[in-house]
Amino acid sequence: MMLGMAARASLRQRWRRRLATPQGQPLHQRRLFLLPTVFGLGWATLVLVLLLFGINYQNNLAYGLAFWLFAIALVALWRGWRNLHGIRVTLRSPQEVFAGGEARLGVHLQAPRARQGIQLRLGGDPVTCVIEHGEGQAQLTLPAARRGWQPLPLLRLHSDWPLGLVRVLAWVAPGDPLLVYPAPQDEASRSSRDDGEGQEERDFSGLRRYVPGDNPSRLAWKQWSRTGMLATKQFSRPPRRVLWLDYDEAPGDPERRLAWLCARVLAHHRAGDAYGLRLPGVTLTPDGGDAQRRRALRALALWRQTPEVSP
Amino acid sequence: MSAAPVILADGRSLSAAMLRQLFIGQCLVVALHLAWMPPWLLGVALAAAGWRYLQLRDRVPRASILLRLTAVVGVLAALWVEFGSLHGMDGLIGVLLGIYLLKLLETHNRRDARVVICIGFVAMTVAFLHDQGVLMTIGALVAAVWLLQSLVGLAGAAQPASRWRETLWLAGLSLPLMVVLFLGFPRLGPLWSMPQTERAATGLTEEIAPGDIAELSRSDARAFRARFEGREPRPDERYWRVYTLSRFDGERWSRLTPAELARALGRAEERLAVPATRSPFADGAPTRFRAELLLEPDSRPWRPSLGAPLASDVRQRYLTDGTLEGLEPLAGRSLLRLASSGEAPAHADPVGPAWYTRLPEGTNPRSRELARRLWQAAGGDSQAYLAALIARFGEAPFRYTLAPPRLTGRDRVDEFLFTSRAGYCTHYASATAVMARAVGIPTRIVVGFLGGERHPDGHYTVRDYDAHAWTEVWLDGTWRRLDPTAAIAPERIEEGPQAVNDADQAYLANAPFSPLRLREVSWLNQARLEWERLEYRWQRGVVGYQQQRREAVLARLQQWWGEAWSRLTTGIRGPLLVVLLVGLGGGGVLALRRGWPRFRARRHEAWLMRRLQAWLARRGQGVRPGESPAAHLRRVAAEGLAPAPLDEAARAYERLAYARLSEAERQQRRDQLARACRRIRQQWPRR
Repeated sequence: MMLGMAARASLRQRWRRRLATPQGQPLHQRRLFLLPTVFGLGWATLVLVLLLFGINYQNNLAYGLAFWLFAIALVALWRGWRNLHGIRVTLRSPQEVFAGGEARLGVHLQAPRARQGIQLRLGGDPVTCVIEHGEGQAQLTLPAARRGWQPLPLLRLHSDWPLGLVRVLAWVAPGDPLLVYPAPQDEASRSSRDDGEGQEERDFSGLRRYVPGDNPSRLAWKQWSRTGMLATKQFSRPPRRVLWLDYDEAPGDPERRLAWLCARVLAHHRAGDAYGLRLPGVTLTPDGGDAQRRRALRALALWRQTPEVSP
Repeated sequence: MSAAPVILADGRSLSAAMLRQLFIGQCLVVALHLAWMPPWLLGVALAAAGWRYLQLRDRVPRASILLRLTAVVGVLAALWVEFGSLHGMDGLIGVLLGIYLLKLLETHNRRDARVVICIGFVAMTVAFLHDQGVLMTIGALVAAVWLLQSLVGLAGAAQPASRWRETLWLAGLSLPLMVVLFLGFPRLGPLWSMPQTERAATGLTEEIAPGDIAELSRSDARAFRARFEGREPRPDERYWRVYTLSRFDGERWSRLTPAELARALGRAEERLAVPATRSPFADGAPTRFRAELLLEPDSRPWRPSLGAPLASDVRQRYLTDGTLEGLEPLAGRSLLRLASSGEAPAHADPVGPAWYTRLPEGTNPRSRELARRLWQAAGGDSQAYLAALIARFGEAPFRYTLAPPRLTGRDRVDEFLFTSRAGYCTHYASATAVMARAVGIPTRIVVGFLGGERHPDGHYTVRDYDAHAWTEVWLDGTWRRLDPTAAIAPERIEEGPQAVNDADQAYLANAPFSPLRLREVSWLNQARLEWERLEYRWQRGVVGYQQQRREAVLARLQQWWGEAWSRLTTGIRGPLLVVLLVGLGGGGVLALRRGWPRFRARRHEAWLMRRLQAWLARRGQGVRPGESPAAHLRRVAAEGLAPAPLDEAARAYERLAYARLSEAERQQRRDQLARACRRIRQQWPRR
């Protein structure tokens, strides 16, 4: 019976998920797989040829070499298995990923002994990594095509160490899926860009206790001469115009609009503005700061996404 | 240590460092063949390596398919010229080596490199067909370890240190397993026949012509080695028979193979040569010597035997004249256990006395005349006649020399007996045989070895210069050994060929660099003997390890194990011992598992610092009350005693004690601290 490509891929993926080790846990012996490589098969042929040499020429050194190479293959099998056994893999998700870009995932490997020649693969090209003094680092890139939740594929670890005769394989199930924000696209006017810029903090709002490192020009000398306590003057910014970023005002098709809104969110955040976001069905009250930025980007990423996967 | 990458940044191409490693591996493997291969193959190796060197520096392009084909054809043609054909073993080995060396031209990625290394292992094995000695084994071991570390490098070792560490682990852990396989694997006979190298281990030839060559070959090449079970032969008993010569054409004595003899006499060959493990001819002859021979590789079938061969552990061909032949040519050194009588064969040769009294008509008339006169003087008594003949040789004008004058005439025995009167064993044996046959006594010449050097550990080495020829005569219903050389040069029989002092002839004329020349220097001779003992043990124990020996070793192991087991399970002491051993072993493992990390931890900063402070205290710079370790070091540094490393140590210690560091950084700092401690000791002012 022929299975469709997609069905086969999904079957394979599901099978591997069963075999995968959750991240952060040491690789268990039942989750390590040994596969002979092509070179391993060649090595077996070599041993056989040398053995035939020994038999046909009654040559004991040829026997000895054949047995030695065979024994070395067995030891290499064990050494290779031991090279991956017990490694803990943790994946560090990137700070933020925008659609169309690449997610840079940090991989952190920990093991009590030194490990060699570990290849890590997450869909793309493998990256080589070693573990020395208990830990190793590597960075993997993953293309992020669409906004929304993107499940991470299984991380594959393999190593041909020490001779390339046997490949030891393990899969690590990464944790949370990746949240991909829309790609910021801002070809519209930059009219409101300057709104928040150039405004100094100039309205006196009070005093607080001096902390080393405060700007000397803002020290409250009068208060010091009066009370002997060193204090710093504090100022606050003038209140901002409240901005609303509205889906209905954005140009183009829905994705385009989200991209435009994303660019606006980033620009206003940079400028220090307070802004609100209105999407059909979602409204964020105006606010500023990192938390608002995160909320807004998340809302843009997840708007009208099928919630097939979520953390 | 700098870590040169094995694979270049493109992820496929080999780096120059890796190519260099492959080339060194090739050199090590080819070095094993050096004594046998045509020397110009070294040029091929250098040319291939040179091309790759220039190519990596972009001076020449990659070797094109045309160039590579040309190179292969060129090497094949040169081998053809060298060996005359490519079918012979030497030609085939040459082809293998040529391909191995040229493969470097097209080695570009990881896969190619692994192919090169695998061919290297095959080429190494082929070298074992030439020699399996101790030196060869050591060389092969070095080459194999080198190839192995190249493979580890190819699998992605980052540092040379980790590469070598892994290689040693692999090699070390696999050795015991290899030994077990080597001992236990059943030894089979050859599955099919393979091309063999032609070689002759001994300087013996199929025919001898006294006086043909003026000088006997005096090489120190080893013919075979022997060890005796039970009685060892006295010097005058060490007559190793190899084969007999019975046809004489007036000038030369020649040997007839059983097939030729059967054809000449019109008999069935099966009657003259019988494959068996026990001689069918010598019934009832007592076994006097049991020898274990370690034979050198030889494509000729002859096997030496001390007297007539009686029985052997493997099937051999027993010939009617007491010659022993192997059924297979010896591709490598091999062991043969042989029981022999120590004397000439007792049985009558079915070939018949007529064959052994044949002399060509009209040759050597003066000798025949002399024979007739002596026969009359002896009154027709064979024994008295032969005694008179031998006594004649002991008299004045006859002398023994290894460099006699050449004899060129038709009647060479006449010439020798009446003119030159100087010669070595062949001359005397030939003259004796002719004289005996002239009066109708059946006689044949035996070619073999006389003597052998006894090594202090009990084995004998027989060399080419021990080659000897004597006669056997049929007297009173049995063959008897008659060695005329014993009359003229008794010291040759008792002490070996080096005892015969010829003014103009050293006994090692053909071996100017032989270590045997150094017999007089005692420590050198001692070293030579030690080396020979090692070589002999190696050849006998490892190289000669065949089916029968394997069974014996396994039986011994089984017996040893059985005894050990029964000793452990009977009585009260055995089980107690087992419990004790298991307890000790388990305790040891536990202690290691717990103690090792603790020991490692002690290499850490606190331990290093305690040691350093104690060391300083011994030099009058102890720690003061209330002083932190870093402050202590800084105070000592301020006094100008090794200030730089002391400051460094203090800094490293503080970072370790107070900073939040990752494990990798901690290790770095520890290394830095340890280095600083070493430097403090080095830079401490001496007084």
